[in-house]
Amino acid sequence: MNGEAASPGWPQVVRAKLLQQRMKEAKILAVGAGGIGCELLKTLALSGFENVQVVDMDTIETSNLNRQFLFRKRHVGQSKAKVAAEAVQRFRPSCKINAMQANIKEPQYNVGWFKGFDLVLNGLDNLDARRHVNRLCLAAEVPLVESGTAAYLGQVTVHIKGTYECFECQPKATPKTYPVCTIRNTPDKPIHCIVWAKDLLFQRLFGRADVVSDLDEAAEKAEGETEGDAAAAAEQEASFFVRQTGESSFAYADRVFHRVFCFDIERVISMKDLWKTRKPPVPLRLDELRHAAAGAASTNGIHKSSSSQQATADLSACRLLGIRDSHAAWSTAQSAQVFLMATQLFLDLRSDEVGAAVFDKDDALAVEFVAAASNLRSTCYSISPLSLFDIKGMAGNIVHAIATTNAIVSGLIVAEAIKLLAGMPENCRATHLRSSVHTGRSGRERIIGPSMLEPPNPNCPVCGTAQLSLEIDTHKTTFKELLDRVVRRKLAVAQPTIQYDGFMYEEGPDLDEDEVADYAKFLGRPLHTLPAGGIKDSSVVEVSDQAQKLELSIIVTHQEEWDEEKDPEAFSLGGKLPVASADAPAEDSSVAGLSSLTGANDDDEGIEEVFEEPAFEARPNLTSKRKRSDEEQSPIEKRLKAANNLGEDCEVID
Amino acid sequence: MVLGVAKSRLAAERSNWRKDRPFGFVAKPANNPNGEVDLFTWHCKIPGPSGSIWEGGLYPLDLKFTENYPTMPPECYFPQHFYHPNVYPAGKVCLSILDPSKAWKPGLSVKQVLMGVQELLKSPNHGDPAQQQAWEDFDLNPNEYDRKIKAQAQKYQAS
Ligand SMILES: [Zn+2]
Repeated sequence: MNGEAASPGWPQVVRAKLLQQRMKEAKILAVGAGGIGCELLKTLALSGFENVQVVDMDTIETSNLNRQFLFRKRHVGQSKAKVAAEAVQRFRPSCKINAMQANIKEPQYNVGWFKGFDLVLNGLDNLDARRHVNRLCLAAEVPLVESGTAAYLGQVTVHIKGTYECFECQPKATPKTYPVCTIRNTPDKPIHCIVWAKDLLFQRLFGRADVVSDLDEAAEKAEGETEGDAAAAAEQEASFFVRQTGESSFAYADRVFHRVFCFDIERVISMKDLWKTRKPPVPLRLDELRHAAAGAASTNGIHKSSSSQQATADLSACRLLGIRDSHAAWSTAQSAQVFLMATQLFLDLRSDEVGAAVFDKDDALAVEFVAAASNLRSTCYSISPLSLFDIKGMAGNIVHAIATTNAIVSGLIVAEAIKLLAGMPENCRATHLRSSVHTGRSGRERIIGPSMLEPPNPNCPVCGTAQLSLEIDTHKTTFKELLDRVVRRKLAVAQPTIQYDGFMYEEGPDLDEDEVADYAKFLGRPLHTLPAGGIKDSSVVEVSDQAQKLELSIIVTHQEEWDEEKDPEAFSLGGKLPVASADAPAEDSSVAGLSSLTGANDDDEGIEEVFEEPAFEARPNLTSKRKRSDEEQSPIEKRLKAANNLGEDCEVID
Repeated sequence: MVLGVAKSRLAAERSNWRKDRPFGFVAKPANNPNGEVDLFTWHCKIPGPSGSIWEGGLYPLDLKFTENYPTMPPECYFPQHFYHPNVYPAGKVCLSILDPSKAWKPGLSVKQVLMGVQELLKSPNHGDPAQQQAWEDFDLNPNEYDRKIKAQAQKYQAS
């Protein structure tokens, strides 16, 4: 039909029979069977993929059911991977989905295992696992399609070793933590007060006493310098929050209110140095708020009968107080009411949990308590109070998941996967999904914005190192033999540092005697018996030279059979050796490069894990970088392109 | 490569530390008896600044890193109940260069952090009280403050 044309371009190529055959046969690893994963498995199966491995360690929860559409109520508690695989196979029996309920970070999913796939597709929600999969894909030289969603935002990128940026070439924004000093004494944002209410006050009133937070103000009143005195002061501090025998829940709530919103605030005000450049806080007096709060708290305690036989899980101070709008910020008097009521409800109706409670964003009463306490503290510090809804989101680090976003992102993942299988890596794009319409340079409005993929960052600590492969008998070879024969003789490393996760070996005249003695213990051990799992098949070992600037990764393959005639050395080393630059001065080392790499996201606001700002327009200077000669192409890119022989006998079907 | 950003940087920090180790300091990733190394925990020792009441002591300090290093700073811990106005009862050091909302920069080296903590020993920061006792003594009762610091230097005497 399309006789004289060369290869059909993207997206016409999707109709090529050969490509469809390739999609059927391709071995796909899908990591994650949650929000993105469910949509992805469905789209893969309906697009013609038939050979999918899915890995997810999670089980199905009720809260997943609204958007993870492959799951039903009867599946709650079962493996996400397994239920999702069964559901997809039911409507597409030709699609073979092998499901594993496991953590992708487990050691059996090593480089060798990853090498068994043509493509890896990520639908993960946590940064650690995404970083891990990125590293293994680099080591195994398998292309990775990476994705993420948060509410209306989404993104899909493609990582190909040597061709495009890896997942870690640019630093990722990390979830914020807050300095203890600020939380304890000088909050100036609502989140500071929320962290205080949740991690300190809630924990102290209702949580386990032995969970000591950094935030504990243990030795505020320590009388002497001895540890015993300070410990006693800590106990005294903690014991204040224990309910006294015979003390009514009302009296207790009253006492705690006075302590944390009045007494403690006055104490902080007395630290005059803190307020030289800041506005001092203002204590709250319950009697002044009392006229409004009077109707709220029951001086007699609350009994099951008075709360109309509610299930414990449904207890709500707001409902009892008639506060209905969870999107409006409460007045200070309302916050005080909710604080007193929530404390009483906890003590009277959930007394069996007191001393062991753990904050849970789905626990209405716990959220109300935290919202009330943080708003009261905000009032003391002249910070604007927030609504219950906002505080719930911030306290639970909630990013509301949206099914449509996941569905769009999954479609984009599959589109990139098809480009890769078609041998068209140059057509791959990074794609951002926005929450509102964006007008591009062409004047066209769109919410999906593709941009060119960036080349790898040469200073990237993850993909910027040279990679060698080593076949060796990891059972017979000792660590000393590895050092002498491979590292020193073949790689010409003068003062080797050998590392893998959980193991470090160093050499050099600067080491102390005891360090040298400790390291010497490793020398006689066979490789597979070294600490932290040893060096074995599929291990990745990092080698660097303390005496010169040289860093490389070695991917090990265990090989027992060696022909003494042909391979007298009994190992084989593959890959291109990097050229070492002799005696790099200390300040020229990789740390200097790193600092420029990681300085970007200092003033990131936000409590959820966010991804980098979408870059919409293709940058012209980068497009030109794309056009490189064949020699410059990475092996994996060449392999992918070699696959693009769909032109000649391409049959386009309708 | 498989070590990832945080651990690669820590490996580089260790290498740089070995090339340029300040006199009297110790800094090394923690080892357990099996020989396994934890790059996220460093056992360090800080010599008391000479010419100060801290002199003669060699103070143990643990640095705790996370996967978010170097975007996020390490946390630094002296032993529990360490006597210093800017050290919390649990031992955590309160210092602006260790605070991501203040002076922490991802480019700061382990060496700079340890030198910063050494400086903090003799020059406490008045605006950041972390424990009541040392803070009050420092402010109101300097003789008592000096006495306790010297006793503590004795306790952590360099061998
Ligand atoms: Zn990279």
